[in-house]
Amino acid sequence: MCGIAGIMFKNGRTDHETGVALIDMLDGCQHRGPDSTGFALYGEEHTSELKLRFLIGDGTAADDSVELIKSALEDHDAEIVDDMRIGNNYQALVRFNGDLRSFAYAMEHAAPDAKVISIGQSLDIVKDVGGAHDVDDRFDVHNFKGSHGLGHVRLATESDVRPESAHPFWATGFSDVAIVHNGQITNYWKMRRRLEQRGFEFRTDNDSELVAVYLADKMSQGVPLREALKASIEDLDGTFSFLVSTKDEIGYAKDNLAAKPMVMYETDDLIAIASEEVSLNRLFPGHALNTKEPPPGSYDTWSKST
Amino acid sequence: MVQIDLAEIPVRQANELIRKYGADGEDIDIINPDARHHVGVGLTDPVTVRVHGSAGYFCAGLTDAAHFEIESNVGWGLGDNMYTGSVIVGGNASAIAGVAIRGAEIVIKGNMGSRAGQVMKAGTLLCCGNANFMAGYLMYGGRIIILGDSGERVGEDMAAGEIYVGGKVQSLGSDAKMGDTESSKIDELRAFLDRYKITFNGDFQKIVNEGKKLHYKTSERPMRSLPFVGFSGKSDYWNPKIQEDIHIKSQIGRYRVRGYGGARELPHLADIGFARNISGLNEISNPVSKVEMRTLIGGKHGAQPLDLSMPVMIAPMSYGALSRSTKQAIGIASSLAGIAENTGEGGMSDAQRGAAEQLVFQMLGGRLGWNIHDMKRANGLEIYISQGAKPGFGGQLMAKKVTKELAEIRGIPQGIDLRSPSRHPDILGGDDLLIKVEEMREATGYRLPVSVKLGAGRVRDDIKIAYKDGFDFVELDGMQGSTGAGGAEVMEYVGIPTISAIMDALDGLAEIDADGKIQIILMGGLRDGVDAVKSLCLGADAVAFGNATIIAGGCISCMQCHVGQCVTGIATQDPEHEKRYRPEIEAHNIHRFLEGVRWQIAALTHALGYGDVKSLNRDDLVALTPEAAEITRLPYRPELREQQHLSKAV
Repeated sequence: MCGIAGIMFKNGRTDHETGVALIDMLDGCQHRGPDSTGFALYGEEHTSELKLRFLIGDGTAADDSVELIKSALEDHDAEIVDDMRIGNNYQALVRFNGDLRSFAYAMEHAAPDAKVISIGQSLDIVKDVGGAHDVDDRFDVHNFKGSHGLGHVRLATESDVRPESAHPFWATGFSDVAIVHNGQITNYWKMRRRLEQRGFEFRTDNDSELVAVYLADKMSQGVPLREALKASIEDLDGTFSFLVSTKDEIGYAKDNLAAKPMVMYETDDLIAIASEEVSLNRLFPGHALNTKEPPPGSYDTWSKST
Repeated sequence: MVQIDLAEIPVRQANELIRKYGADGEDIDIINPDARHHVGVGLTDPVTVRVHGSAGYFCAGLTDAAHFEIESNVGWGLGDNMYTGSVIVGGNASAIAGVAIRGAEIVIKGNMGSRAGQVMKAGTLLCCGNANFMAGYLMYGGRIIILGDSGERVGEDMAAGEIYVGGKVQSLGSDAKMGDTESSKIDELRAFLDRYKITFNGDFQKIVNEGKKLHYKTSERPMRSLPFVGFSGKSDYWNPKIQEDIHIKSQIGRYRVRGYGGARELPHLADIGFARNISGLNEISNPVSKVEMRTLIGGKHGAQPLDLSMPVMIAPMSYGALSRSTKQAIGIASSLAGIAENTGEGGMSDAQRGAAEQLVFQMLGGRLGWNIHDMKRANGLEIYISQGAKPGFGGQLMAKKVTKELAEIRGIPQGIDLRSPSRHPDILGGDDLLIKVEEMREATGYRLPVSVKLGAGRVRDDIKIAYKDGFDFVELDGMQGSTGAGGAEVMEYVGIPTISAIMDALDGLAEIDADGKIQIILMGGLRDGVDAVKSLCLGADAVAFGNATIIAGGCISCMQCHVGQCVTGIATQDPEHEKRYRPEIEAHNIHRFLEGVRWQIAALTHALGYGDVKSLNRDDLVALTPEAAEITRLPYRPELREQQHLSKAV
């Protein structure tokens, strides 16, 4: 029940107006999901630090959460280089050299009322209730410069409208992997149990999180994103169109029945993908674009040049 | 010629202008379309609309007679349901181009997406590039021409029509085969290409229906008719119903199809009683004058609501399942009673429109009989997702009932065992549904309420989607609902009971803080005004009667509705049988039944201490069985079972 969008500027520079581009694209397809909006943004890479972003809510509970998070960071030898609170988020830039997965799981449990939204060297996820412009007003998305990013608008039908049920989803336990997904994975529980048996933790019952973890797991075993996407079309059952991003790559996969829409536009400089052409056209108003619709059961990836 | 700049004005306003200019005979140029949805929907004048750029979903949808030229690409559902007229697309078309067209000519210069021409009835869909998979899916007629490659599974489950492929036929769909290319047809085809100035010198391969799935191999013979009491017998294990079932299956080797309602004992409204003593009902003089019953349904988004003299409607039943005379009689009765009638699947006849003062027009996945002209003359539009008797299934109409006239109105081949698609081509999730609802509103200028009919299954989720997608009201149908034809096992075992359905609906809305924010019309085996009042107390805003109306109008409950030889002339399309039905008499019988319902609702409301049906509430009810108590969370009062002689009291 949603709309998705993604963009990558191919030259690899991190000074592109990625925030503005994604706000425009999501505003263009806001009719597909007026309840909540989210962005996965890839900016300049911190080579020796990690960015953590938590959803902490408001009021004194939020203050308590921040204290608990700080002490959990200390317990795990993560040294805070910089931190700030913005809206209902707490951000921390830390120096950390241990095992990322166990660290990430520990952070998930750092405070009972806080949730990790993203962890990465270049990834930042911003998501909240409301439309693209509402979320931008709260989190300054339009000032975000970067090389690539994903976006999502959500129509909440099966659960209520809360910031934590907004997308994109971070691949819990893996640095810098994010996903936006339109559709429904019907073998969700089967796939999730397989991953849980191997020690993975899930923070939600949302099928998008499953796709993110599934792909990140493959990549952590050395499988290239392309191959992971190919395997996902075989392994995942249901109707889906999803976009995935890592520090350096962006990719898509589409189910065998092509039940969910997806359109893309590519030039020498950029690749933009969205649920509907109306989003792509927001980047080039007044121009008819030579767009392409990916066939059923297809996948592809793009890397930024470094 | 006039110009409309979509960078300056919203699509809704643009469409109003397009229709206005259309009526004045002015051609229209659209600039800065930037792939916006619903451009030109609802236009019914022979003017030319030029879109300078790309258009979004449903461009030229629900139109007749107009000509569209789109310079670049189009989104899903190009030319949706278009009658006559033409569309030329300079670029690519997305999924389901030409869906449900009924005569239009559509030319796509580039490639087209998946399921092109789904459920099309007539006309030509030409793609100069390659098609994606399942072109011609479920098509009922007309012609698809693909100059490039066919895509996988071309012609999947097509019932009729022709698909010509100039490139490679990648793979054939289910029930499709390669046909002979007759030279006369090829000449026609080349003339079409010439008319649109398209050069193609290659040869064509032709794909047609293979004919393996259009009919059941063995038809079900009508058996000796059993009284319903015997049919639903509980007296012994191998009762007459079980025996009949086995006999029939031993003949046909498949599941049975039959009409009427389920016969399985299920928790129902009869298991609910009133919390107060209402034995003095018959002493109330003229209760109708003492109780406010007028109910407005469907105005929450500013459309003209249905104005009901009591919280009652007629349940959707098709002209097709029922004879024209029956639909006419029901229409007259609905007008006399001041309530609303519903077309069900399969289109709107003039007789029905003339008879019913308030008529809801229903759209199903096969888009049978759906068209812009009848939409415009309806009082409400309804998307059918499923029905209580057979949730998850489309309509079934056996060959005997698919007469020439009926086939024409629906746009399908005559004499097939029609199994309507269970899914809509353009509704694969809540997000698509939102865009579809918008298309219907755009096409009719936001005048009409748009409702959704839900068969009771996953009501808790479905009602949330219905609410979020902006419907004006929901028709909620429990598994005790009847049908003109359905798989017997499905009727008895699939779905959830009517009282569970209303509870799940209310719970679902409460979970998202939307209590009372969307009106619910409850149906599914409601028999009288007593059931109606209980439904209103549980939380429904109104109720609908289907089977009860038919019985009031002469049905003898033989359960052979599907056969098409109904002796009363109700469930038949055979003129010899229909002759027996006297609509002018039956209309009054149905009307008297509805007046009986009115009296019961008024008397009970009054006896419960209210002057307005809107005051009825859960505190007026108790559960008489443990099952009903569990489902409804009403207080369990078994000692009241004996006191609830309502059928005698009213």
